[in-house]
Amino acid sequence: MAVESPGQFLLGKVDEVARWAQSSSVWPLTMGLACCAIEMMTATAPEYDLARFGSEVFRASPRQADLMIVSGRVAQKMAPIIKRLYDQMADPKWVISMGACASSGGVFDNYAVVQGVDTIVPVDVYMPGCPPTPDGLLYAVNLIQQQIRQGGRGGILARA
Amino acid sequence: MVPAPAGALTMDVVEHENNRMVLSMGPQHPSTHGVLQVITEIEGEVVTRAEPEIGYLHTGIEKSAENLFWTQASTVIERMDYLSPLSNALCYILGVEKLLGVTELIPERAQQVRVLLCELSRIASHCVWLGTGGIDLGAISSFFYAFDMRERILDLNELAGGARMHPNYLRIGGLRDDLPAGFLERLDALIAMYRPRMTELRALLQKNPILQDRMIDIGIISADDAIAWGVTGPSLRAAGVAYDVRRAFPYSGYENYDFNVVTRTEGDAYARFLVRLDEMDESMRIIEQVRKNLVGGPIMADDTKFTPPPKETIAVSMEALIHHFKYVSESFRVPPGDVYTAVEGPRGELGYYIVSNGDNRPWRVRTRPASLYNLQILKKIAVGELIADMVVMIGSLDPVFGEVDR
Amino acid sequence: MPSSQTPPAGSTALDPTAIRPAIDDARIIRTSPAALRDELIALRGAGYAMLSDVGGVDYLAREPRFDVVYHLLKLELNGARAHRVRVLCGVPGVEPVVPTVSDLWPSADWAEREVYDLFGISFSGHPDLRRIQMPAEWEGHPLRKDYPLRGPARERTPRPSFALKSNVAAGTPAAGKTAAALQRQIAAARGQATVGSAAADELAAEPNAARGAQLPKDGSK
Repeated sequence: MAVESPGQFLLGKVDEVARWAQSSSVWPLTMGLACCAIEMMTATAPEYDLARFGSEVFRASPRQADLMIVSGRVAQKMAPIIKRLYDQMADPKWVISMGACASSGGVFDNYAVVQGVDTIVPVDVYMPGCPPTPDGLLYAVNLIQQQIRQGGRGGILARA
Repeated sequence: MVPAPAGALTMDVVEHENNRMVLSMGPQHPSTHGVLQVITEIEGEVVTRAEPEIGYLHTGIEKSAENLFWTQASTVIERMDYLSPLSNALCYILGVEKLLGVTELIPERAQQVRVLLCELSRIASHCVWLGTGGIDLGAISSFFYAFDMRERILDLNELAGGARMHPNYLRIGGLRDDLPAGFLERLDALIAMYRPRMTELRALLQKNPILQDRMIDIGIISADDAIAWGVTGPSLRAAGVAYDVRRAFPYSGYENYDFNVVTRTEGDAYARFLVRLDEMDESMRIIEQVRKNLVGGPIMADDTKFTPPPKETIAVSMEALIHHFKYVSESFRVPPGDVYTAVEGPRGELGYYIVSNGDNRPWRVRTRPASLYNLQILKKIAVGELIADMVVMIGSLDPVFGEVDR
Repeated sequence: MPSSQTPPAGSTALDPTAIRPAIDDARIIRTSPAALRDELIALRGAGYAMLSDVGGVDYLAREPRFDVVYHLLKLELNGARAHRVRVLCGVPGVEPVVPTVSDLWPSADWAEREVYDLFGISFSGHPDLRRIQMPAEWEGHPLRKDYPLRGPARERTPRPSFALKSNVAAGTPAAGKTAAALQRQIAAARGQATVGSAAADELAAEPNAARGAQLPKDGSK
């Protein structure tokens, strides 16, 4: 990128370092709803091991989490709670909608399921699958890390 | 602010007399095993009242099933008890086969593979229970050991059905496809791995003084209470009642297998823990018997009225093509009637009350959700226990909210 | 996907419980709300100690409209042998009320709440009859046959719903149109005679067009 002054170069570097630090320690919120939650747990298990990508711990408190992985179908009763949890998370925060149900309602096109969690919270990465495999979740977390490092959100990179 | 339901403990009333507080545990909580909200009234550390609130995962599966063909409905039904999906599918399929009147036509190989996969599902489900139960208490290593064993079972699911968790492998009339090459070798590897791994897990947990301290005499369910509250499965058997659907109402050839119904008498969380561990061993015994006695032969009933034609004939036979087209686009009709079938799921008696009005779609699929009744008794057993034990009690009841809420 | 094929008229049964095949899954007793409690108390006296399930069925065109289905279980030899009974209680569609059995069996508590929530059948004497699966302020009883599958809010929007939200599809001619409208569009493009009015497209497309207009083009919300 074009640099006009040494000061800007330094700030740019600090920015880069900050983004690198953020992307290397994305701590998810334990937002496990249904079947996808089990695959999310499996992603932390030995075979797939999410921790090596920096997601060492899942935080139960939204105040301490960076990433909300909405894993599972969102019922009508649960929708306001997801919004509330998202609001409670501190900036900067990212959202992965894991699975077909969270992305678009999935197999359940009926009265009870919210047709996509993006009607409630902004989503950065959509993951199709029913449930997606844990390595798919690893890829989604990698995409989030790319987004963090590039400083943007959404766009064509958001298709997992 | 989430609106508090009328008639329940209200969350925005905080009373300061007698140290009594109303606390909402969940629905987002690391240890409630899903989306459960328990509104507890505690006095100091002791729970004086506990009201579980469910419905946070209500998916309308039963309504969806009314709008899908008989064969398609098993896909959404499989997603109820998502830890052992094949049990749901098997129970529904057995019910439909009863309504069709074709239970005797199911070939023996299909029945054996059904039993094999359901027992594998049981072990996989108990692995999740064991892993998450351990994590609730701080025993994190057992989570990794248990989930690693579960991976081998999910590998088998993926080989057979194509997907790890919801393989959709069972069909009305038999199976979708025969077992693929390599399945039996992997199954043998799993059988060989099982005993050493269970020995390790038991060594980690069973005699662990911390686990024993936290589980013994917690959440005691007596036999009478269990029956009055409709509790089934390991929670009922830990109270001393040896009711197992596989013994009382045998299905799919379970009368041919030699296995024990594991019971204990104490009825506390530790007894439920031991019952489930022993149940995993009994499931492995059944799997070994199936493996030894697995017969060859067809895997689909020989009746074209409700089965699709073999895939390889579709390209060469016009009749098969037409049959396949009609099967997929308008499905078969099931004669009118109602039936209740039950299987022994990992959580207890999972049943379906299926009503057909003669159409090509179910009229009603009512689930008898084992987890709903198992969870309901939390209202009773939590009273008088410490708030810290709430997590242990919920874990020992092992609810799955896909089944509780549907 | 809902079936586009309908069975021949007259081939579906109004009351499947009356003409069921001879399946030996349970002893079946049919009763009415007035006689229900006595029936169940008698069964409990006969050893049916577990009420294993309470469910509801909506038969819509049948009189009485609803069935509340009770499954009871008798255990013998400490559970080695068991017997099942199914009690079907026909409940009329207008002001459906059934006496509660939650004082006899605590297992009925949540099950009756669920039947109330999803069918609207009231259980007189229930200590805490409120919704259990749907949010407390929800209107309607979803499992009734006259309640639309996708809920009243989305009943007339075309499927699949993601076509409404996608920033790609919002700009395409197919967005927000019903299947019939698309057929007309195709027929018109081919120069064939069209059946039906264009006004119907507008009516159906209107709520979706409004939605489409609100969609920001860059896909962010």
